[in-house]
Amino acid sequence: MRNRFEQQLFELNREIIEMGALCEEAIEAAAKALIDGDVILAETVKENGSAIDQMERDIESRCMKLLLHQQPVAKDLRLISAALKIITDMERIGDQAEDIAEIVAFLNGHNMDGMKLITEMAGETTRMVTSSVDAFVKKDVELARNVIARDDIVDTYFSKVKRGIITWIAENPEDGEFALDLLMISKYFERIGDHATNIAEWVIYSVTGIHKEV
Amino acid sequence: MTSKIMKSILSVAIAVLMASLTIITGILYPYFGSVQESQLKDELSLAASATQQLGKGYLEKLNADRYRLTWVNADGTVIYDSHVDAATMENHADREEIREALASGTGSSTRQSSTLTEQTIYEATRLNDGSVLRVSVSRATVLVLVLGMLRPIAIVLVIAIVLSAWLAHRMAKTIVAPLNNLNLDNPMENEAYEELSPLLHRIHAQHLEIKSQLRTLQHKQNEFEQITGNMKEALVLLDSTGRILSINPAARTLFGAGITCIGEDFLTIDRKQNMRLALQTAREQGSADFRARENGREYQFDLSRIDSDGNHHGMVILAFDITEQVNAEKNRQEFTANVSHELKTPLQSIIGSAELMENGIVKAEDAPRFVGRIRKEASRLVTLIDDIIRLSQLDDGTDMPHEEVSLKVLSEEVCETLADAAKLKDVSLEVTGDDGVINGVRRLLYEIVYNLCDNAIKYNNPGGSVKVTVAQKSGEVLLSVQDTGIGISPEHQEKVFERFYRVDKSHSRQSGGTGLGLSIVKHAVQYHHGKITLESEENKRTIFSVIFSTRA
Repeated sequence: MRNRFEQQLFELNREIIEMGALCEEAIEAAAKALIDGDVILAETVKENGSAIDQMERDIESRCMKLLLHQQPVAKDLRLISAALKIITDMERIGDQAEDIAEIVAFLNGHNMDGMKLITEMAGETTRMVTSSVDAFVKKDVELARNVIARDDIVDTYFSKVKRGIITWIAENPEDGEFALDLLMISKYFERIGDHATNIAEWVIYSVTGIHKEV
Repeated sequence: MTSKIMKSILSVAIAVLMASLTIITGILYPYFGSVQESQLKDELSLAASATQQLGKGYLEKLNADRYRLTWVNADGTVIYDSHVDAATMENHADREEIREALASGTGSSTRQSSTLTEQTIYEATRLNDGSVLRVSVSRATVLVLVLGMLRPIAIVLVIAIVLSAWLAHRMAKTIVAPLNNLNLDNPMENEAYEELSPLLHRIHAQHLEIKSQLRTLQHKQNEFEQITGNMKEALVLLDSTGRILSINPAARTLFGAGITCIGEDFLTIDRKQNMRLALQTAREQGSADFRARENGREYQFDLSRIDSDGNHHGMVILAFDITEQVNAEKNRQEFTANVSHELKTPLQSIIGSAELMENGIVKAEDAPRFVGRIRKEASRLVTLIDDIIRLSQLDDGTDMPHEEVSLKVLSEEVCETLADAAKLKDVSLEVTGDDGVINGVRRLLYEIVYNLCDNAIKYNNPGGSVKVTVAQKSGEVLLSVQDTGIGISPEHQEKVFERFYRVDKSHSRQSGGTGLGLSIVKHAVQYHHGKITLESEENKRTIFSVIFSTRA
């Protein structure tokens, strides 16, 4: 019976890693699509998004079954409850990557001076997501704390991009729509950074039993 | 153990108790019966003689508590009974003992009471007047006796149980104590029961067997780790669920994993999309492979499922570095493309000139110029093809005749050949140093010196100089060609030895180079196991140094 439980936990862990990997790929593809103006790549992000949604449902039902049938305690209980929270954040990351890709499809390779900043921001956010998944995979509390600290960098990028866009609109009023699209994209990246931070917080909780907000 | 011993002790006690009870009852009961019977007979004969003399009066006077006396008439009518009123009693003529007494003078019988708890013994005798006197006594049956003994038996049983429990406990303790103290690690050193020695021998033998098997296993494990540890290829073994069973150092470096990853899910060390897809493909179809860049190098990943008896037992992941191979492939492709391009350029020029002449566009006085161009381009083509052939010969690595060659003499020959070209560019040529005799292929060595000097002149400034120095050291010969030319900027220095690479594309066309010279030099030097280095300062000088080893 216990053995079976161990096996189920192992599979749960694997599925979360897979889902995390899918999220990483989604945001990587979205960032690449944005930087290269690649519309076809943006399409693949969408497919990835539905796979992520499906995984969320699967993992959720698996967690529920584990909670009901095995009545886990202590560390196992923390892992499962953290998993339930983590997949929600991962699903949001997938959704926002999809949203970014959707906007990219409308941009039609439009460009502006602030692009470089957004590219850097996309890179930093992607690395944050990768690190948060890594922290989960390795159950690495240090790395998770590092991810949480890096959220400030992304936030700073966001305010910089925002200021850049304000100047851009003032100088090129005809490009207003495009500038707003970019603002949306950078906001999505900023949100993704927040979700990565949430994941990192839940990783810390699952290992140490302490959650920042609890 | 204790309960087993207790059970056996208890069952023995109960059996003994029962047996003795049965035997004692079986012997004593009939004995007391016969004693009683003879007493009864004595009593009867006494009563009979008294009754014969004194009649009914004696019987009525007789206070018989222990016996019941009955006097029956010859026809069976009861005349007197000591316990019951005679008038109420039925005719006794049909009673067994009475009948016997009437017939033969005496009679006796034993009858069970209706409840089976009592037994009545009757003795009868015929008096002289034909009537019968009967005396009877009741006694308890065996069953009643036994029932009466139940309480003492129960007490004895309880005592037996308690005693046997205590005894069993003590016995078990004493029996088990040496067993508990057995030293199972060294079974042969025990001094326990003799009966245990086959068991101990067996344990000892098994100990030895396990030890030797462990050693063999350890040995095999070490062997495996030695082999996989020194492998350049990364090797990972997974079990059927995807956990890591074994990972060699090369794989740990490749995936950036620690030692603790053994037993973990493989996805924890690599969760990339192409790896996940390949794992799935391999799980479903038996094998998969893909190429990927890791840590700046190109790797080929081969995955195969381990099957036996139709079951999946796991997976082998093997990754090898194919960077060189990929680069070589790329180089070959580039070379082919470059060769085609380089060959085409002079040909286009030839075709163009020829077409112009064919169509009569060229005036007669211009014809020599066009023919000259055709000749020049054709000879350029020949040079190019010559260079390519030489290069491919070097690539093939075919053996060429070795001989003793003096680099200084060779350099002087080269300078003589290039003297005209040098004069044309106003460049001075000078050869200095030792003889520098090495064992090598003359043609290739000539090629090295020629190409280096040719370049030194071509890319020199007017009024400059080219110095060829040959220096002989212990076991080494150093050849250096120094010019005072335009130099090579640092970003080009690494690439000048590549095929068709030119620092300045437009310039080289004028100078007539093929872009293969230094590539040939590099290969020729490699053929002689030498080393070539380049030192340059832009617009000042370039020094090519070649070091040959004179040791075989």
